[in-house]
Amino acid sequence: MKQHPLAWVAWVCGAAVCSLLTRNPLYQVILTLSAWLVLVVAGGSSPLSGGWMGVVRLGALIWVITIPFNALMLHQGNTVLFSLPANWPLVGGNITLEAVIYGASAGLAIWVLLLLFSALNTAMDASELIRLAPPVFYQAGIITSIGLTFVPQMVKSSQEIREAQRVRGHHFRSWRDLLPLVIPLLTTSLERAMELAESMEARGFGGETNDLSTRRRLYLSLLILLGLGLLLTGAALGLWLQQGAWWTGMILICAVGCLAYAFTALAQHSKRSHYSRRRWTWNDTLISAGSLAALSVMIVVRVTDNLALTYYPFPPNALLPAFNPWVGLALVLYALPGLVSILREPFSRPEPMREPEAEP
Amino acid sequence: MIHLQHVTYYYPETHAPVLNNLNLDIADGEFVLLVGPSGCGKSTLLRCLNGLVPHFYGGKLQGQIEVAGFDPTAQEPRGMSSVVGFVFQDPETQFVVDTVESELVFAMENANLPQPLMRKRVEEVLDQLGIAHLRQRRISTLSGGEKQRVTIAAILTLQPRIIVLDEPTSQLDPQAAEEVLTILQKLNSDLGMTVVLSEHRLERVVQYVDRMLYLPGAGKALVSGTPQQVLPQLPWAPPLVDLGRRLGWHPLPLTIKEARKHLADLPAARAPHSTVPAPIQMAVTIDINNLWYAYNGHPALKGVSFQARQGEIIALMGRNGSGKSTLLKQLVGLLQPQRGQVLVAGLDTRQVDADAIIKQVGYVPQNPNSLLFAETVDEEIAFTRHNHHLSDHDDGPLLDSLQLGEFRQRYPRDLSVGERQRVALAAILAAEPQIILLDEPTRGLDYAQKELLSAFLRREKSVGHTVILATHDVELAAVAADRVIILGDGEVVVDGPTRAVMTQSMVFSSQINKLLHDDRFLTVSDILRDAP
Repeated sequence: MKQHPLAWVAWVCGAAVCSLLTRNPLYQVILTLSAWLVLVVAGGSSPLSGGWMGVVRLGALIWVITIPFNALMLHQGNTVLFSLPANWPLVGGNITLEAVIYGASAGLAIWVLLLLFSALNTAMDASELIRLAPPVFYQAGIITSIGLTFVPQMVKSSQEIREAQRVRGHHFRSWRDLLPLVIPLLTTSLERAMELAESMEARGFGGETNDLSTRRRLYLSLLILLGLGLLLTGAALGLWLQQGAWWTGMILICAVGCLAYAFTALAQHSKRSHYSRRRWTWNDTLISAGSLAALSVMIVVRVTDNLALTYYPFPPNALLPAFNPWVGLALVLYALPGLVSILREPFSRPEPMREPEAEP
Repeated sequence: MIHLQHVTYYYPETHAPVLNNLNLDIADGEFVLLVGPSGCGKSTLLRCLNGLVPHFYGGKLQGQIEVAGFDPTAQEPRGMSSVVGFVFQDPETQFVVDTVESELVFAMENANLPQPLMRKRVEEVLDQLGIAHLRQRRISTLSGGEKQRVTIAAILTLQPRIIVLDEPTSQLDPQAAEEVLTILQKLNSDLGMTVVLSEHRLERVVQYVDRMLYLPGAGKALVSGTPQQVLPQLPWAPPLVDLGRRLGWHPLPLTIKEARKHLADLPAARAPHSTVPAPIQMAVTIDINNLWYAYNGHPALKGVSFQARQGEIIALMGRNGSGKSTLLKQLVGLLQPQRGQVLVAGLDTRQVDADAIIKQVGYVPQNPNSLLFAETVDEEIAFTRHNHHLSDHDDGPLLDSLQLGEFRQRYPRDLSVGERQRVALAAILAAEPQIILLDEPTRGLDYAQKELLSAFLRREKSVGHTVILATHDVELAAVAADRVIILGDGEVVVDGPTRAVMTQSMVFSSQINKLLHDDRFLTVSDILRDAP
């Protein structure tokens, strides 16, 4: 899939917001099928699909677990499937169809989000997205990128350590037995972090900010400190006072103002270019426009009828969810990346993935 | 190009200088090899060239350094990044992003280069290093050699005038190391780039370099000159050079081709064949029969069968991914056969608990850091003995036999690579196993440390222990192994006595054997012993 990263951002943001706007299982199912199509099409042509199918499977497992959990904890509803003795703590009482359906719909909402982000990560390289971040967020983006690179290394290290200690006769019996596993993992990770930091330093990480005078740099640093302090104070006061006072809002506005000014000023001095080989195509326009249109439909429906997108199967509400065909049709637009890819390359075969040469 | 004058450097909180009054000049376009024992200051010296020392490490630096007209201490590493490209030892730990193309542009984006220029340079380095096919690949799917080539490509995008490499091939198999060194030679000869390289395995690199620098350490003066001038002064040397030194050949041969000119002077080459005594058949300790194993459907071992006996040392060789590590894990019970049978000390690994196997088998993984966690070396030994329900006893003789006696109370992770490797070995040997498995035991070791390992292997053989070492190091196999098994794509390709296998192989053969093509001669001592 060769869409522009910004088109993917529009797609994932639109679909995620739509998913959060509704609990209606019919709409969730449409979103799920759309995201699934994108994931399958992207996974077939991408060398990046790697571990994301595992994440999807894990999500499915969590979803399945939430259904009995909900059914055992919520005892409302008229359609009783069976009953557990009332004297059983927490789980005792009626097990109802309404609770089962509610659990399934709640779990599905989480799984849809996982599907969306798995599809995004399968379809495009995360570092391409990070590269699009404005200069002010560049450092945060790099940290995220390093985190993504570090995770597979950590998993590999922990496996090696577990095996190495196992052949020394190590068994896990109490928390003290964690030390032979945790200490090598921590020290190895720290050593790796130091080596990476050294490598980044040697390759010029940090950009050219030499035209910033020491006085100006100090001023901007103090401004960031002030902004963070005000943000913390405003948030604490807001939580403490419960009822938002006007001056709490003023403090927060000042905080955001200080931070925005300081970061923008720093970004102007940070000379760093961006590399991208992607060109914006008609398909990107189609996907972005489709995603925004679907989101707009959802927002309009939500604004005009506050309850149109909600679903609560417990009495006095109906067990069957309502269905607005326009909403259903709008959500099908989130399948566009997959459909566009299929129409463009209907019989394309995925490039064979080359296996890593190192032994697993 | 590089000028160091009276350079002295102390790491923070140390009183002895790592570099002491060092003077050095390197001309534009030179290919320079820096050698010296572990801990002599090679890495420190290389890091002075781009300002990582002292900016990243702290400490106290005295003297003057000038690199391509810049002062690295004033410019800082990021200022020097467009002049000096630095490649580190471990290809795993120097990647910032997760795909090849993103990695290539990382430094250019930091240097604020315009997009068209970045595009042009990416295409150039991809072609220059022959890695265009890797462009869209994730870093984690690359082999070690590919990773190191991507690292070199990433620094080349800034078009530095100098490339500095700190043991870039120490983590690679011989073929991957050859790929990297060939690229360096090309960059040096075709583009005139100055290359400064530190390396332990001289036999891999000495033929490529214009000049050698020997840093003896302990504050002694730097020795500089052509390889022929410096090699005679080293306390160790690759086998070919060692032979030349012992037989007084002049000039010293750096390649097999050069050594062939002296063949006529070699009395041993004309000596009659000596009869090799037939090995005494000892008891079988390992019996593998038609072993199959696959990771997620990808076959790693396909019908492997062989036996190992008491007192036998077997070198398991083959490319990365050929199944060596998987086979070792089968032998220690970490993996179990999907088909076939593995008997270790008479125990079927599919039928007995892993605890029963590890009482008989000691397994030292590639990376000693995976098992070192205790505060002292003594505690590491005690941990293993405690796990195996063995009584506490004096670990002095064991540590002394591995020359670790002086480090008993030291924090293991503060020791050098070779010392850590030996501590890991001691931690495994503390369980008194009858069978010892070593996975790439010479990775990162210098010649002296390899000699210690060879001595250890000889001792284990003499007490009747079975040793299987998965290694790329043909010289170690030539010195220590009775038998070589070569794996290819999960199958046993060759299994036979070391002398026969090496003589018939073009790749898995020692330098001396390549020179003489005679199964009587694998090592320098073979020639000297047979010489009249």
